[in-house]
Amino acid sequence: MATTVKSSITSNQNLSSAPRSRAGASDRVTRALFIWPAVIILLFFSIFPLIVSLWLSFSRLRFTRGGVEIINVGWANYRKILLGSEQPRILGVMSQPSVEGWIFFAIIVVALIYLMVQYIRNERVTPIGFILRLALNLFLAALAWLAVSTISPGGRPGALIVTFLYVFVGIALQYLIGLGLALLTAQQLPGRRFFRVVFLLPMMITPVGVAFMFRMLTDTVVGPFSPVWKAIGLGGTSWVNNPWGARAAVIIGDVWQWTPFMFIILLAAIEAQQVEPVEAAIVDGANSWQIFRYITLPAILPVSSALVLIRMIEGFKIIDLPNVLTNGGPGTATESLTLSAFVFWRTLDIGGSAAVAYILLIVVTIVSVAFVNLVRRRFSEVA
Amino acid sequence: MLNKRDINLFVVLMMLVGLVAGCAAPVSAPAGEAGPSQPAAGEVTIDVLTFTGPQIAEPLQRRGAEFTERTGIKVNVTVVPFSDLYQKILTDLATGTNAFDVYVFAPQWMVDYVEPGYLEPLTDRVAGNAELQWDDIAPFFRDFSASYKGEIYTIPLDGDFQMVYYRTDVLDELGMEPPQTWEDYLAIAEAAHGMDMNGDGEGDYGSCISKKRAAQAYWMISSIASAYLQSQGTAQGGFFDLDTFKPLYGDNEGFRKALEVYKATTQFGPPEELNLDVGDTRGLWTAGRCALSIDWGDIGTLAIAEGSQVKDKTGAVILPGSTEVLDRATGKLVPCDANTCPHAVDGINHAPFAAFGGWSGAINAASDDATKDAAFNYLAYVSAPEQSNVDVTIGATGFNPYRISQFENLDLWIQAGMSEEAANLYLGAIKASLNSPNMVLDLRVPQNQRYQQVVLDTAISQFLAGELSLDETVKAVESGWEEITEELGRDAQRAAYLASLGVTR
Amino acid sequence: MITFFRRSNPFRPSPFQMVLSYLILGFWTFVVLFPIYWLVVTSFKLPSQVTQGPRYIPFVDFQPSLHAWQYIFVDVRNDTFRPYVNTVIVGLVSSIFALFIGASSAYALVRFRYRPKLGLVGVFLALVVLCVIAIALEIPWQLAVPIALALFIIAIPTLSPRMKRSLGNSDIAFWMISQRILPPVAVIIPVYVLYQQIGNATGFKLLDTRLGLIIVYIAANLPIVVWLLRDYFQSIPIELEECAQIDGASPLRIFWSIVLPLSVPGLVATFLFILVFAWNEYLFALFLSSSQAQTMPLTVAAQNATRGPQWWYMSVLILIMIAPVIVMAIVLERYIAKGLLVGAVKG
Repeated sequence: MATTVKSSITSNQNLSSAPRSRAGASDRVTRALFIWPAVIILLFFSIFPLIVSLWLSFSRLRFTRGGVEIINVGWANYRKILLGSEQPRILGVMSQPSVEGWIFFAIIVVALIYLMVQYIRNERVTPIGFILRLALNLFLAALAWLAVSTISPGGRPGALIVTFLYVFVGIALQYLIGLGLALLTAQQLPGRRFFRVVFLLPMMITPVGVAFMFRMLTDTVVGPFSPVWKAIGLGGTSWVNNPWGARAAVIIGDVWQWTPFMFIILLAAIEAQQVEPVEAAIVDGANSWQIFRYITLPAILPVSSALVLIRMIEGFKIIDLPNVLTNGGPGTATESLTLSAFVFWRTLDIGGSAAVAYILLIVVTIVSVAFVNLVRRRFSEVA
Repeated sequence: MLNKRDINLFVVLMMLVGLVAGCAAPVSAPAGEAGPSQPAAGEVTIDVLTFTGPQIAEPLQRRGAEFTERTGIKVNVTVVPFSDLYQKILTDLATGTNAFDVYVFAPQWMVDYVEPGYLEPLTDRVAGNAELQWDDIAPFFRDFSASYKGEIYTIPLDGDFQMVYYRTDVLDELGMEPPQTWEDYLAIAEAAHGMDMNGDGEGDYGSCISKKRAAQAYWMISSIASAYLQSQGTAQGGFFDLDTFKPLYGDNEGFRKALEVYKATTQFGPPEELNLDVGDTRGLWTAGRCALSIDWGDIGTLAIAEGSQVKDKTGAVILPGSTEVLDRATGKLVPCDANTCPHAVDGINHAPFAAFGGWSGAINAASDDATKDAAFNYLAYVSAPEQSNVDVTIGATGFNPYRISQFENLDLWIQAGMSEEAANLYLGAIKASLNSPNMVLDLRVPQNQRYQQVVLDTAISQFLAGELSLDETVKAVESGWEEITEELGRDAQRAAYLASLGVTR
Repeated sequence: MITFFRRSNPFRPSPFQMVLSYLILGFWTFVVLFPIYWLVVTSFKLPSQVTQGPRYIPFVDFQPSLHAWQYIFVDVRNDTFRPYVNTVIVGLVSSIFALFIGASSAYALVRFRYRPKLGLVGVFLALVVLCVIAIALEIPWQLAVPIALALFIIAIPTLSPRMKRSLGNSDIAFWMISQRILPPVAVIIPVYVLYQQIGNATGFKLLDTRLGLIIVYIAANLPIVVWLLRDYFQSIPIELEECAQIDGASPLRIFWSIVLPLSVPGLVATFLFILVFAWNEYLFALFLSSSQAQTMPLTVAAQNATRGPQWWYMSVLILIMIAPVIVMAIVLERYIAKGLLVGAVKG
């Protein structure tokens, strides 16, 4: 994980305590041996596919006798996705935002401006840093505008915005549920080991299997909850026919599967916090909310931000659930970017697929960097 | 502390080692020369690739074991998930991996494999083989489905075209006749919707059509649209105008009408219809919950399988037609007469749609000769009447009738458990479809997957879900198809389309 | 130092809180277990019992049947057995390797300082890009790569003294975790072509072999291992290692006989995590294996054929897939809690 300020200090202390002068040649080799296997494997499986995919995203494949002919088509694949016929599918259809949309957008813009002002006032401003920060904020504002205008009535969110929805709504729910469960199981309750093991289970099931399972469960006709739907007068409808219903189904499946990840690590963090401040607070008559707010929460914020970052990186790659639940339908309502890339790729539009993958890569990188810079640093400093 | 320079040097060298390998691979990507590892003399093994069964793979394995007993040649059947089969075959062939000798797939995909020369032409081998009884195979499958540009490339193992199924008891109760036109279909669906058809006290559905995205939904629209779009026989083509290669799935009254009918069927379907694939609708059918359905031949055999509630209540009929067909010059619908619908029956133009084309076996051109011969003999063995006439009557094989002897011979079906009446209806519909000179060949131009599975399928599912209006859908399909055509070259695409339709009976 | 394995817990709930907690925990237990229960029931249903509407309790509202279990274990036992063995081998071997390779670099990132120069990394990347462009322009790679190599070696001594900014361990760590960003769809085709080329050029078969899958899973899991273990190692008191160093132990020996034994909980927890990932991975397995090396997720997905999902077979397969992992999770539960404990605190 990207180190926090705190942990890099500890590691520096450790480093300085290692005797420098006695690092002989053989030591040097041993030390190199420690890290190089990992670096080589990762280099090999990152730089190489990265370059090949970049190249493919500018080309089109044609199958010829005994092989493949790769034709350079310049920006055509990107044009098709961002401006051409695939634009409604990937970016969505924009329309005039509703009042709520405008309000939401205004809040985002104000927040970004506030962050910008904070940055200028509190940190060392370099020209390059300033430009990067400005570009980042403009990008986030543009993204917010795209979200607001495509989700408004009359518009239609594309795969990009739908992916963001999955990631943000999904992770928010996973975090809140995971945190709640972790707090509950951290109490001195008989049988907490049972809950711990049980709550881990969903993570153990293959995502494809989870997706199929939720397809069974969401069926309103033969699924186990069909009497429930009938009882509330929804027997004749299906929530996977409704775009928002289908998206909700995907998010529920995602939450079911990945809450355990949040849960187990947050539980570990909560149990690892120092006992003394809590005991002192109890002696001082603090209630449990105050203990949580002023002691536990600050203690788990760094790990929380790391967790969210990890889940964000993984979450952007969501594919199994929308693919199995509705094949991206109804229409294209539940299609995520990875699924779009997969659909292109299935029909051998490998250039288009690589282009979508690259757009996803760029977006995730920007969002991760933004997250690290805007959110994670803060929390780490708090800790 | 490490010497910085040394470390850097080390880093760089390692990176470059990785890079050399990295750079090397993509550049020399076209390397089809390297053939598969040669089998030791006298020991031939056939590697077959198809999708995960029970259906298709099961008969291939079962017949494979028999074939091994007969000849000593080993047959290995490998399966991959259905949705990944097309890609997997092409990857295997195009990258020169050639891990397989026989591919069992839908002949619709053939063009993408034949054009680059990946598949072995089988014309001579077919001519020299008596066991196969080539002439017993229905002409449509023989001449169109198995052939491309006059050469035979695949051995049919299965016959795929769509029909309409109806519940004989429900229609009797309603006093209605099986549907002849799509208007009839809608009328029956409307009348039957909400009736209790399986005696569980709950209302059932007028029409069950699989409309799931990225499943089968795009074939269903072609089954409806073809009645309006093709009237001059198979060679007229039901997807593109032969002269201009402009899509017929575009701004004309025929396609619009088909879209309207397709959408209208949704009102009489199960609530989940937009998310049902063909397996779900078949389940609903055998559970007795549907009055009408569009499907391949499978329902006929599944209806007599164990656990079916609709044994002897399942009737089949050729795909409904239309009394009006598209005039390609004006884009308007014109009434049927001797000129506009030369093949009309009682003034109704039927255009049975050979969706998918039926599972067929093809042989890898890169295999060595001994393996090719063995592979051909294996396919001929599976397809020979002695074997296939049994297999097509078993619902679980997924094989549907494709031989004349299979729909002429009623006993076969009665032995399999059909009542005489049901067998007559089922085989009658098959016969009417296969004998129709106006059968519609599935789209077989290069990259047809992109036309159908991406553009058409996406637009149709957005239309059904209400994301697109009728006009937007028409526009999306037309412009999407035109874009692919422009990208791949209009002339080349048109030539391939003509080639696929080129054989006259 | 290690105060977190405490026995007493300051959160001693009142009876009311306890009841409420049990209600909520019970509810979530239901949420978690019901889908799994549904899998179990479905695996005992006949196809017609699935399509006719919901049936909840065996023997009460439907007569269970073993047909699906029989089909999976008897009729197609070879098609079940082979992928199962593959999954076990690929999962275990790749996880063990990823664990040790990742652990050693996580340790190295904590205890040693690496300072790759930012400028040199930049030069390296620029040369890589140039190399690719050159090759795209049909300059043979045999020429392009040595030239790039030579340029780079020349660049090292001339440029490196002028470069002030260098990257630190945290940058390396961030780079490692960022490898998970790349969507698998983008990685598969290059890897497939690479494997295929290696097979053609050297006869060393990687496609459709367990080895090929193992290598990919090692690469995919390394970042997770580094992330989880780096912070764990940081929590281990350095004094022990310093003592050993004074006694003349080599870093390798310190790592092997002091650090690793001290980190068993962390290693076990990490191992379980990556095992689950490798065990369940679908996309790479789909493309890099065809028959011999197929793994279980493919077998599960394959039950959705043209005839619709075969829910009953699928349920059986999912159940036999998760059974061993669940057993491991139960047996190792104590380690998981402890192991993540330390790794987690530092974030």
